[in-house]
Amino acid sequence: MTGTDTQRLTRLREGVESHALTALAVLTSAALVVAFYYPTATVLIEAVVVDGAVTLATFADVLTDPFYFGELARLLSGESPTAVARSLLSPDRRLGIVGFTAYQAVLSTLASVALGLPAAYLLARFEFPGRRTLRSLTIVPFVLPSIMVAVGFVATFGENGTLNAALTAVGLPPVDLLFTLEAVVIAHAFYNAPLVARVTTAAWESVDASAVETARSLGAGPVRAFVDVVAPQVYPAVLTGAALTFVFTFGTFPIVLALGGFQLATVEVFVYRLVRDLSYAEAAALAIVELVISLGVLLAYLRYEARSSTNTRGARPLPRRPLFPPAPTLRELLPRAGLGAYAVVAGVVFLAPIASMVLASVTGGDGALTLDHYRFLVERQQTGAAFQVRPWPAIRNSLVFATGATLLALPMGVVVAVLTTRRYRGRTLVDAAAMAPLAVSGIIVGLGLLRGLVFGVEIAGWRIAASGAVAIVVAHAVSGYPFVVRTVSPGLAGLDRSLVESARALGASRARVIRDVELPLVWPAVVAGAAFAFAISIGEFTSTVVLATGAHAYTMPVAIERFIGRRLGPATAMGVVLLVVTGLSFVVIERLGGEHRGL
Amino acid sequence: MTIDESETRRRRSRSRTRRRFLTAAGTAGAVALAGCSAERTGDEGDGGDGSGSDGDGTGDGTDTDDGDGEGDGGDETPTLTVATYTSFIDAPSVSPGEWLKEEFESRVDAELEWATPDNEVNYYVERAASGAGIDADLYVGLTTEDLVRVDEELDGDLFAEAGEVEGRDAVKEGLRFDPFDRAVPFDTGYVSLVYDGTATEAPGTFDGLLDDEHAGALIAQNPGASSTGRAFLLHTVNRFGDGGVASDGDGEAIAGADGDPDYDYLDYWTDLEENDVRVLGSWDDAYAAWSEGEAPMVVSYSTDQVFADMEGQDLDKHQIRFLNDQAYANPEGMAVFADADEPDLARRFMSFMLEPAVQGEIAQRNVAFPATDGAELPSDYAELAQEPADPVTFTYDELQGSVDAWVEAWERQFAGN
Repeated sequence: MTGTDTQRLTRLREGVESHALTALAVLTSAALVVAFYYPTATVLIEAVVVDGAVTLATFADVLTDPFYFGELARLLSGESPTAVARSLLSPDRRLGIVGFTAYQAVLSTLASVALGLPAAYLLARFEFPGRRTLRSLTIVPFVLPSIMVAVGFVATFGENGTLNAALTAVGLPPVDLLFTLEAVVIAHAFYNAPLVARVTTAAWESVDASAVETARSLGAGPVRAFVDVVAPQVYPAVLTGAALTFVFTFGTFPIVLALGGFQLATVEVFVYRLVRDLSYAEAAALAIVELVISLGVLLAYLRYEARSSTNTRGARPLPRRPLFPPAPTLRELLPRAGLGAYAVVAGVVFLAPIASMVLASVTGGDGALTLDHYRFLVERQQTGAAFQVRPWPAIRNSLVFATGATLLALPMGVVVAVLTTRRYRGRTLVDAAAMAPLAVSGIIVGLGLLRGLVFGVEIAGWRIAASGAVAIVVAHAVSGYPFVVRTVSPGLAGLDRSLVESARALGASRARVIRDVELPLVWPAVVAGAAFAFAISIGEFTSTVVLATGAHAYTMPVAIERFIGRRLGPATAMGVVLLVVTGLSFVVIERLGGEHRGL
Repeated sequence: MTIDESETRRRRSRSRTRRRFLTAAGTAGAVALAGCSAERTGDEGDGGDGSGSDGDGTGDGTDTDDGDGEGDGGDETPTLTVATYTSFIDAPSVSPGEWLKEEFESRVDAELEWATPDNEVNYYVERAASGAGIDADLYVGLTTEDLVRVDEELDGDLFAEAGEVEGRDAVKEGLRFDPFDRAVPFDTGYVSLVYDGTATEAPGTFDGLLDDEHAGALIAQNPGASSTGRAFLLHTVNRFGDGGVASDGDGEAIAGADGDPDYDYLDYWTDLEENDVRVLGSWDDAYAAWSEGEAPMVVSYSTDQVFADMEGQDLDKHQIRFLNDQAYANPEGMAVFADADEPDLARRFMSFMLEPAVQGEIAQRNVAFPATDGAELPSDYAELAQEPADPVTFTYDELQGSVDAWVEAWERQFAGN
């Protein structure tokens, strides 16, 4: 290679580097518009355009309907605030479907945080055999299809379930948990406590040990050092987890009816029914209400995050303490005893339902142990007709789509995280636009993808349409990337700006600084974001079935749904396959990600 | 993605009945991977109007596509695209799809492709509304409610009249649910109670369900999302009347078979709720909870014992009860799309579906009941698959303009938070 060639290459590289950020931002916006904004808009617009005319009547009907808004609807229909306030305080007040949905989401969020934080504490602060594997596996519940969770929960918490068997065995009265709000809240915690735990662990692992040491050397006790140094860096992550949990459980759908029953119906239940009955105007209006509330919560959280970010040059993580110290003192024993109690609760909430699922997959119709359901999978693989769903293609597609979606979601998420940690006018708008995929009803997005992508758009006499694998990967990346943003962004915002400025002063391009300086400093968050993007893709159902036109692009959740019959055996066997495959994938992702890259 | 010209040419030359496509595929043979397409909307007389069945479509036709797609377009084997719901072709136990395809292809010089869009009939309603063209020839598995919904939503016709379909006369009178003669019934199911006979003895009547001994004993499904749940709700409307819920102020009401004008289905549901009925989401949720012993009775199908027998389960635990000797019938029909590329072949398929031997096979493989008189069934079929003495169902006209209101009124009463 001649000198000029090398020079040209260097220039080219510099050119690419200097525009990399812009190019990525443009690509991210394009993906969002194609696989989210345009499709979703085709449905949401029906809330205000009925038979070609713009009207706010549907909205007004929904907002003033006590069925949806309870006592607040009376306020919106012009009654006096004092009268409404009085009925709100009375014992037989009506929350309305929207109010109840928010109420159960708040309870679910509290439960998820309560169950997630001890796990984060354990994973971030203690050393024990299998810790990394356990950390990798925390997100597994996140990907389980609701029917699997329902099966596991009925088998665990049902009248004849494991929990009651255990309670009876130790002489305690049985509990009647099923078809109650409690069961729904616990199921939501099953899904979302892992989210809180994983996000918080990542932040806790990024806390710089030297800051704590400095505080300690200045005379702060361990509690004071925690409150002043560690907590401020960890609780934005806890709030991230809480905000995401709220949004998810606000949009909850099948699990509420499976474990709670129709008395506990949430907004999404009605969105689903209205879409099924083709009553699009009302469905869209309700979905917009959901969107506004979810996005409102996310934005309120983001305002807080922006205000509370602390500066860190974080690099060297806090040393972990052994979980089983050789000669424990009383002070060392206390937190470990607490974790022991937590392990029992976690065993009941997380492990027992999963164990029940596994058990169901090896239990025959007569109650005896059998491998028949796995034999069914093998048989279906070998003899299933070409138009039927077979296990191996489902596994392969799931892995390929999830890998693709993760590889796409990571740069998308990082770019948006970089853009939204800067301060400028209109940032809230960018934030809202970037987070919207989390806040829109999945049912509406699915219908939108059908209209916007599968049927396509007519432009100049051509109908441009997209479906199949690439469309699925892009759609999955769009739903997964907000997690990358939310895990990476608090860390980036907290980075000491002088690090970036010195690197820039030394001639590094912006992209280079991100790659070589900023990302390594928040690496645990990047890995956590990647794991979430992967998990979202693996667990995704609605968009997948819409975009997988034909019989060749189905995934594991689709196979599970297809194998549900009168007996749950075949579906649970496929569910266990999903469990194992995703569990292994998470271990691989985190190993690839490495423990720390540090500086 | 780049536009792959050779792919385009291959497709154009291959089939004259298909629309022209430009398939933008990244790499050769990656049609299924990319699946991004640009399609000319103004067809210039290349035959078909509406076949959008592109390369990544359904079916196992990849070999044949390459094999006999020689391109002079003359006497190529025609493809019949049959749309249906997924469990018709793919269920963990049995499904009729595979047998029907093989049998039909062995008799007729045609290839049968199944299409099972997730939104079922709504998918085609959406396609029609979006102007995207209909990419199938007929739909198998239409219910009365589907037709009502389709007709309310679309101004034009999604389905054509059945026309010349041999064997139509054999369809049982009580099952013919389409007043406009588009859908031809091919089978029917009955929604009834299934109960564990070792845990309870199910009551014989609707009123019996309100007895104290059956408190908390019944699991039903959300009528807004589950067809079983909706059938049960409709059965209660049929039994107790609708109390004028859907009357648009003209005071007209469906009178209940109970003969009491002051007690309607909503009153009955109030009583059921007081007796602790569980209304879960889908049939899967309900049946799974019932199987786990959460309650001894569940709303399900009267063919439950066929499955239980297939799986060697204790039939005592799978008993059927027809309340008031009735069950709600859910006949399933098939209809040709108005835009079908192969309307004659589609009608040929409909005739095939009505043949006595095929009717028997469908009933057994779909675990349902034949729609025609004279279907060939094993003599012991009726031992396990039970039919009610008095099947009830609402007609198209009765459902039209009412069913949404019934479901909504029920939701508003039952959810009430």
